[in-house]
Amino acid sequence: MTGKKSIALRKDGPSAKMMEICSVHVGSTLFGVPITHILEIVGNTHPHAVPLAPVFVGGLLHYRGEVLTTVSMRQLLGLPATEGRQDIMVLENKGSCFGLLVDSVGEVLTISAADREPNPSILDTRRQEIFAGACKLPQGLLIMLDPERLDPMRLGAAA
Amino acid sequence: MDDLTREFLIESQEGLDRMERCLTDLEERPGDTNLLSDIFRSVHTIKGTTGFLGFKRLEKLAHAGENLLGALRDGKLSASQPVITGLLQLLDALRSILSIIESSGLEGETDEEVNDSELIALMHELQHPGDALHSATNVNRPALVIEANTTLTHTSAKASPPALQEPDTAPPPPSQSAAAAENDALKSEAAETSRPRQSAASESTLRVDITLLNRMMNLVGELVLTRNQILQATGADPAFTMLSRRLDMVTADLRESVMKARMQPVSSVFSKFPRIVRDLTQLLNRRVKLVLEGQETELDKSLLEAIKDPLTHAVRNSLDHGIEPPEKRIALGKDPEGTLKLRAYQESGHVIIEVSDDGGGISVEKVRDKAIERSLITAERAAHLSERELLQLIFLPGFSTAAAITNVSGRGVGMDVVRTNVEKIGGKVEIDSRPGKGTTLRLRIPLTLAIIPALIVRCLGQSFALPQGVLSELVHIPPERISSAIEWMEGAPLYRLRGQLLPLIFLDRMLSERKPVNGHAAIATHTPDAASLPQRDHFIAVLDADGRMYGLVVDGLADPEEIVVKPLSTVLKSIGIYSGATVLGNGDLALILDPGAIAIRAGVSLSTVQEDIEILEEEEDAMKSRFLLVEAAQRRAAVPLGEVLRIERIPVSRIEYIGYRPVLNFEGQLLPVEDSAGVLATAAANPDLPLTIVVCREGNRQVGIAVGNVLDVAAGNDLVEAGTHRAAAGVTLLNDHVTGIVDLGAIEPLPLAAQAASSWQSSANSYEETLA
Repeated sequence: MTGKKSIALRKDGPSAKMMEICSVHVGSTLFGVPITHILEIVGNTHPHAVPLAPVFVGGLLHYRGEVLTTVSMRQLLGLPATEGRQDIMVLENKGSCFGLLVDSVGEVLTISAADREPNPSILDTRRQEIFAGACKLPQGLLIMLDPERLDPMRLGAAA
Repeated sequence: MDDLTREFLIESQEGLDRMERCLTDLEERPGDTNLLSDIFRSVHTIKGTTGFLGFKRLEKLAHAGENLLGALRDGKLSASQPVITGLLQLLDALRSILSIIESSGLEGETDEEVNDSELIALMHELQHPGDALHSATNVNRPALVIEANTTLTHTSAKASPPALQEPDTAPPPPSQSAAAAENDALKSEAAETSRPRQSAASESTLRVDITLLNRMMNLVGELVLTRNQILQATGADPAFTMLSRRLDMVTADLRESVMKARMQPVSSVFSKFPRIVRDLTQLLNRRVKLVLEGQETELDKSLLEAIKDPLTHAVRNSLDHGIEPPEKRIALGKDPEGTLKLRAYQESGHVIIEVSDDGGGISVEKVRDKAIERSLITAERAAHLSERELLQLIFLPGFSTAAAITNVSGRGVGMDVVRTNVEKIGGKVEIDSRPGKGTTLRLRIPLTLAIIPALIVRCLGQSFALPQGVLSELVHIPPERISSAIEWMEGAPLYRLRGQLLPLIFLDRMLSERKPVNGHAAIATHTPDAASLPQRDHFIAVLDADGRMYGLVVDGLADPEEIVVKPLSTVLKSIGIYSGATVLGNGDLALILDPGAIAIRAGVSLSTVQEDIEILEEEEDAMKSRFLLVEAAQRRAAVPLGEVLRIERIPVSRIEYIGYRPVLNFEGQLLPVEDSAGVLATAAANPDLPLTIVVCREGNRQVGIAVGNVLDVAAGNDLVEAGTHRAAAGVTLLNDHVTGIVDLGAIEPLPLAAQAASSWQSSANSYEETLA
């Protein structure tokens, strides 16, 4: 939380067109999540598996006295599961929380709205659903993620 | 709705609740001026605030009520029954408007104002009985009441000493004699001493949102886990150990305080009953005295909510079916006024709530006939049941003994609803009844809902929690017996449990099953024989989930634990077999299994009633004549199995002595240990070997028996002394050997002071440990 504030202070000038995102790696792809939705990053962890759960569920996470459902980005993208530990982002969406299981969390980037593009039409419907456009960074494309689209409730209803 | 209105609603509802309590009390003590001013204050507050908030309907009604109450308070009028009935009507009207405001934010339709004005007219009429000459009842009734009052005064004036101190109360009604005033003063004084004033408590209390308390509970749980991890991480450093112990203590205290904050006295539920009983007795033409006991007993808020309906149902039942009409009671030679008693008390981690009446009781024959008529049980089966077992049949769905359907009870949804509701919160219901003497219904409620006892089982390398409430026993199958013990019927695994076939569900298979095609898929589609079973230990948890008996096969058992239930997200709840999740003592997560849902998913059908009762019978038999066969110093002895609580294996060093008497400090309680066979002396020579202690129940206490070995469980036969035809006491025939029965009653109780001294000593010990 404090991290968010200090980053906000570091920025100069009015930034109506700028936004901060946290980059995450899943497989070889770079994704970004707006930091306004991130409550905490729980690093290097192993969520508790839930037998019979829908495929996209990465397991359970014990977070401050609550038991959160996590969504596995790998499963969502149809990538093979990794051995070993992963990072979990605790995201907040409309008052409820859930975890997003990713390979690793990168850094906080400031992007401008001008660099953002909507989803290209050639994506399959599944990906159209979960991606929220792309962002043209100097080092390559970053896929934007929207916590609302990743909410397990919504994914569960769609499945 | 704005905060002000919400605050007003809560306050007014509390005020009305208080008013209701006071009104029913007022009926018993019509002259109690304190009660009257209490009621007056409630209505006055409502009137004042409504005027401010602009609720005109409420204001008018409250105003009319206030006028009437003012007259009562000033002694211009006495609190006769029609007046109280009128005030109760007013109360209901105020309540219904409040609930309309709560749901819509507005006062409701204007056409209801006709009712309002009728009510206002009634208030007016009651206030000026002389004006209402056209209404005969209103003129006559108060006169009757005054008459009754004077006779009462007459008798009690003789009995009470004249030199009574007059408390500082409003002047008594001028129409009444001085003796009446004394009498009233006596009554109100008695009322004051017996019941502490509630208004005094409200100043030191604070309203807290229940969600905040839940959140606090969660955070405390989290703190407990962090503490556990700290304790593990810092084992080596002594300074840190001391700090973490302090943390440990503070955490435990904090947890207890938060749990306490959720507790409320049962009086908050009991207080509804004087009104219910009053209304019902008038409707049903009964005369009933309601006795409330143990109102200060505390229970978790959510549990209180949950028992409200079952209790109301039980009370209605008692009044409708239990207590007879006064004429009939007189004919039977009973007091025409029946007694209905609500009693709450704590007993070993449970709160017991009893509803007892001194009515006609339940006719066992009628219950049996009804059950047979409704084909809930066969006639042959019924002939074998004891009276107590027959009585329990009334908890079966679709059972109602009411000869006629009244609007109070007897719609066929009777006691089974009570049972279901109580079992839903982990409680139990028992019924006792003696024909002609009365009926007692006993609800056994756990202290809190948030924490439930559970058995942790292992499967697929994970821990799962199984609620203890549904667990009836555990069976261990060693690897070499696995192929013979589990039998297969066309792919369905079964286990013979004391001659009964028990369907089995393999938890690992069920959990690996991706999508069941139908309810039976979980068992049927998998490898249909024993060959595929791995040669390792299997454990069967025998479960009884809402009448579905089955065995859940798991890979391993861990300790039982008190778990805090955490809700799951909707996505995971919709899987259907998990009822929640929990965090175990070691910080791991565990899913809580829902035994009922598992049974349904696997297609286990409801056991028929016959089977149920057979098992009951068997258990009953087991209690009576089964024995635990033990060996001590080469001699065999038998301990009645029904009394055995646990078998503990402990190191000899845990046995301590008070004087010459061996005792065991067990879970903070002191057990006297019986050692007539000298096992302890033998064991002391070999301190490494564990000692076996059979923990038994004896009356209200627990005792331990030191034994060498536990040999067997066997059914005993009575031995008849030759020529007497009477069973000999103290011996039984076990496995064809005459065996002595350990006389638990003969074990001397510990002196009370010794218990206190020992607990002091042990606390001193732990204090020293802390310092070390």
